[in-house]
Amino acid sequence: MIGAADLDDLTLVVRAQEGDTRAFEALVRRHQRRLYRLAVRLLGNTSDAEESVQEAFVAAWRQLNGFRGEAAFSSWMYRIVTNRCLTLVRARRPVLALDELGEQADPEGASPEQAAEAHDRATALDRALQQLSAEQRACWILRELHGLSYDDIAAIVGASVDAVRGRLYRARCTLAEVMAPWR
Amino acid sequence: MAVNGIHSQPDTAALACGQDAATVWDRAATGRLGTHDRDCPHCRAVADDQRVLAMAIDALNDQAMEPPPSLVDHVMGAVLTELRPADYLPLPTRHGRARIDRIAAAVVLRHAVDQMTALRVRSCRLHLIEPLASPDTHTPTAVWVHISVTARFGTDLFSATARVRQMILTAAEDLLGLPITAVDVDVVDLFADPARGTH
Repeated sequence: MIGAADLDDLTLVVRAQEGDTRAFEALVRRHQRRLYRLAVRLLGNTSDAEESVQEAFVAAWRQLNGFRGEAAFSSWMYRIVTNRCLTLVRARRPVLALDELGEQADPEGASPEQAAEAHDRATALDRALQQLSAEQRACWILRELHGLSYDDIAAIVGASVDAVRGRLYRARCTLAEVMAPWR
Repeated sequence: MAVNGIHSQPDTAALACGQDAATVWDRAATGRLGTHDRDCPHCRAVADDQRVLAMAIDALNDQAMEPPPSLVDHVMGAVLTELRPADYLPLPTRHGRARIDRIAAAVVLRHAVDQMTALRVRSCRLHLIEPLASPDTHTPTAVWVHISVTARFGTDLFSATARVRQMILTAAEDLLGLPITAVDVDVVDLFADPARGTH
């Protein structure tokens, strides 16, 4: 017996387009984690991130019949979430609530000192991220934390590949400078 | 970026040695540094920056950050309030009116075919090809099913599609009481079976 977890995204999308809410729920369960992590890094706090991801999924349900499968469902969702978050970021200064973010998982075999250093390093990078422009931050997160290609990022943020490379370059310059003491 | 002798441009930067900083960065990130990159102080500086950031990225990725369990419930709660209006198919009956929601009927038929591990149903649509029966008559309905499936690579498609057709007819008759006039089956894609190493 095949369960929803065995089905590829396109099959679940087609089923959802035909009104199968269980297929859409399977898509939500499959993609919520990475989209939530994206939103938290873009927005800097968990409550706005949760709300943005919820709204993005509901918007996706409403627009599902317009999804023709030219791009992957994951890319489509990345675009919806990124756009929502960028709109929010532009509307207000980001609120830093780093303590809300997840506990640092101790790397296996790491000493308490190494774990503490990793935590400090992550915190420093997270703070540095907030110094980037929203557009640079989106490109950097999609590339470095989500491993997307330049082409995919360009499609998600609605910019050319050259513009993405430029934003990434400037983001790396800023972050490398802030992280220089960790050399 | 701690790159000495950089000739800054808006979107990229040429190092004093002539290399493009972003390209050197990508080579460092993918472990493809060349001899020049390792010997050149400018390229080495870029690679050092990449290494420091990569360590911080690893630390950031190690942070446990899970969406709240309520997220799915909230999304699906909103989705269920926005369901499209029900679209019914008449069921043949001698005693009053009976109808079934078209989406629910499709779910039942999909479920039947999902028993076959070699196939996965993508689309399943039911079309009424005769005028709607009036509620107080016994006019038989004629329903045409259009189903699209993906098949595991190597499946005997002739036999599999015949079996799909039979399962649809049986499920419609036994589970829904809905006579089916025709079943069109489209095989729209193939999928690999990781256990068999097919692609």
